[in-house]
Amino acid sequence: MSLDKLLRLSTANFSASLALLSLTSAVAIGGILAYWVFRSKEAKTIPIGHGWWGKGKKPLSEDDQIHTFTITTSDEEIKDLHARLDLTRYTDPLEDSHFNFGFNSTYLKRVVSHWRNVYDWKKQVAALNQYPHFKTKIEGLDVHFIRVCPPSRENQKVVPLMLVHGWPGSFYEFYKIIPLLTQNHDGVAFEVICPSIPGYGYSEAPQKKGFDSVAAARIFLTLMERLGFSQFYLHGGDWGSAITTNMAQMKPDCVKGLHLTMFFPRRNFKMSLSLVIGRYLPFLVGFTREDVRRIYPYFQKNVWQMLEETGYMHIQATKPDTAGCAVNNSPVGLAAYILEKFSSWTDMKYRDLSDGGLERMFTLDDLLTNVMIYWTTSSMTSSMRFYKENFGNLINRLDFKTGVFVPTGLAAFPNELMHNPKVWAQTKYRNIYSYTFMPRGGHFPAFEEPQLLADDIVQFVKKVGKI
Amino acid sequence: MFTEVLVALALGGLLLFIFQRNRKQVLKTEDGWWGPGAPPDAQEDVSIHPFQIKTSAEELQDLYRRIDQTRPVLSLEDSQFNYGFNSQYLQEVVSYWRNDFDWKRQVEKLNQYQHFKTNIEGIDIHFLHVKPKRVPKETEVVPIIMVHGWPGSFYEFYGLIPLLCDPSERDNLVFEVICPSIPGYGFSEAPHKKGFDSVCAARIFHKLMKRLGFQQFYAHGGDWGWLVTTNMAQLEPKIVKGLHVNFAPPSKPGLSMVLSLLLGNRFPKLFGFNGVDIQRLYPCMEKQVVEPIKETGYMHIQATKPDTVGRALNDSPVGLAAYILEKFSTWTCNDFRNLEDGGLTRKFSLDDLLTNVMIYWTSGCITSSMRFYKENFAKGLYQPHSKMPVYVPTGFACFPKELMHTPKLWVKQKYHQLKSYTTMARGGHFAAMEEPQLMAEDIRTFTKMIEEK
Repeated sequence: MSLDKLLRLSTANFSASLALLSLTSAVAIGGILAYWVFRSKEAKTIPIGHGWWGKGKKPLSEDDQIHTFTITTSDEEIKDLHARLDLTRYTDPLEDSHFNFGFNSTYLKRVVSHWRNVYDWKKQVAALNQYPHFKTKIEGLDVHFIRVCPPSRENQKVVPLMLVHGWPGSFYEFYKIIPLLTQNHDGVAFEVICPSIPGYGYSEAPQKKGFDSVAAARIFLTLMERLGFSQFYLHGGDWGSAITTNMAQMKPDCVKGLHLTMFFPRRNFKMSLSLVIGRYLPFLVGFTREDVRRIYPYFQKNVWQMLEETGYMHIQATKPDTAGCAVNNSPVGLAAYILEKFSSWTDMKYRDLSDGGLERMFTLDDLLTNVMIYWTTSSMTSSMRFYKENFGNLINRLDFKTGVFVPTGLAAFPNELMHNPKVWAQTKYRNIYSYTFMPRGGHFPAFEEPQLLADDIVQFVKKVGKI
Repeated sequence: MFTEVLVALALGGLLLFIFQRNRKQVLKTEDGWWGPGAPPDAQEDVSIHPFQIKTSAEELQDLYRRIDQTRPVLSLEDSQFNYGFNSQYLQEVVSYWRNDFDWKRQVEKLNQYQHFKTNIEGIDIHFLHVKPKRVPKETEVVPIIMVHGWPGSFYEFYGLIPLLCDPSERDNLVFEVICPSIPGYGFSEAPHKKGFDSVCAARIFHKLMKRLGFQQFYAHGGDWGWLVTTNMAQLEPKIVKGLHVNFAPPSKPGLSMVLSLLLGNRFPKLFGFNGVDIQRLYPCMEKQVVEPIKETGYMHIQATKPDTVGRALNDSPVGLAAYILEKFSTWTCNDFRNLEDGGLTRKFSLDDLLTNVMIYWTSGCITSSMRFYKENFAKGLYQPHSKMPVYVPTGFACFPKELMHTPKLWVKQKYHQLKSYTTMARGGHFAAMEEPQLMAEDIRTFTKMIEEK
């Protein structure tokens, strides 16, 4: 080979490799740029939208006053309840079935006997009225809420906090935690607002189709605005978690902090992969030892158990009007339907007990008061419709694809229906300030472990507010 | 020497394997006891007692009081039957029930046939036994057992019975009909122990037929009745002469089924799919996934928490009616979900619908009827009987609005001796009640075909 031929060859190669290098760099830079642009283009909020849910046509103007409200009862109401309790036609449970076939009829008789002979609804109503109740019309619906202000103290910072309940709970779930939150925690005390989701309890039920968690979120944001709060904290579990999450997605500037006890990640491939690897190499995927203990065996805990426990969700998400009809006419049927959840969702092992372990964490009086709220307001059917409205349109839900960027605090209770490790929660909640492994408690933590929950909320708010 | 032995063993093993596969599998079962407590030492009572359905003024008064106590909740504007039984239409049905429906007259109608009860495996089994009144010369009397499903009852067959028991001009067959109530349904006692599934029901019905003196008989069923009669054919293939069903969802998706779903609409001829099959199976996502999810909420909750869901239904007759009649609307034609009245009275009379509801109401059996779902699904979907084919001559009546469409290819996977597959002109899930004429014709044609062999 001649020298100049060699030179020409080497320069050609050099050009080729330079060309290759430039090409790859261009692609890389372009890729990074595109990713950066795309990421910042990712939606950080969801549209607020609008709605009107009353009967018939929307009027030209609406009363936006806040009216005081008192829960009342009457002798007729109680007599009617007793008459229906006496008419119950029991079916004997299968031998040895405990709570595995649903609410055990033998134990149910005990509950009903207490309800009929010992339970004092008038006294419970007085207890419910210990906090001030209000109603105000928003988007055509009378929205019920309680508002509890801490006693005025010196050097106290009052922090507004909205607590949102779920199904089959109610604002009453928070009655044990409210006194703990309005205490003075080193200079911080909460002003607590607890609304009832429209269709639940004393909040009017929507008459139009389509009332989902986004609509409820918008209504609750309007409520806070009407009450004069420009910034506030939120706490929720069950449906309350979905609604408060939506609120944080709609107006992140108003939501100083979001505290949740039940939360769902955005399912993606990474999550499924971590599930497989996490059992053997947890630290590789960001699982702690406690995460491993709570998630595995995955199939048993999260698939079979979920299948066993979600029949109610399936029927309510498809045929709420059918499912609600009988339970709205039989208080015993209503009690069995609701209290079954207070048993299994507090601890799945309670299904093997003949009394469902109901009275281990709750008193019958407390449980029945929650049932009475559904009974006296005839709101079980409308409460069930919330499932259909939310699950009916899964593919088009923008809020499922949008993240949450407000400071978030997550309280992971050991007997919650599903455990979500911090790494999974981060797929949706991008600004996690605190993630606490709670030592005890199930799906109704405000009812069951109010002190633990209150402490976690306080620590979270202090962290966010740097108080 | 060693190699010879090895080859012999291998050949022998192979032959055994082939032989084993070809040997017809028979479903095995053991005796059970479903009464309360432990089985007594005494001899089983095998007597058959006549039974009459009764009512009383108290029963009606109690019903009316509960109806009057109903607290209606308005359905959402413009929701028809898409959220379940429409509340406004329900009030119309209830008004008819309260003011026009004559239960005493319906009870007389129910008692027009002979009812009996007999104790098997510790529980009282209710059944109808209808003998043909007139048997012309040269006419065969063919015994047939007909099993109902959920939320139906023996009453579903009342339109069909006269068409089978009376002689027909088209053939020289006349049927002797036995219609039992599945234990836990209607007037059959409910099992007191866990574990009562379709195989147990099948075994009990075999004992019933034996007790009645039948050596061979035909069987017909839809809904749960399909599974119970199929199990009967699997338990005693020599005794069940012919099996006729109008519902046959595949019990386990085999390779051919999956392939046919994937490729069937491109290559229908390959899988024997006709126009009807294509139209009813595709689009796959909508018809095989979304539709079933929309309609199986009841199945999910009944298969997991029957005691909870049944609780209120046994106290509120209106709630019970809404729950049961929603199925008679949607399962007759799922387009009825878009009608304000659910199309309920297009194919059925309110009298018939309410009589069926009254059977559940007066017997208080809704909870035990739901437990059957849990007992059947509890052990998982892959039980011995679901993996075993059926070798008894089978006839399948394919109704256009049935919940799930099963093309011939899929039916043959399970029913190895499929002798007739009839595409019916009209009818949904409650075909016996909705189109008794069509059903009777198909049963007769099928039976004649088997008898002639």
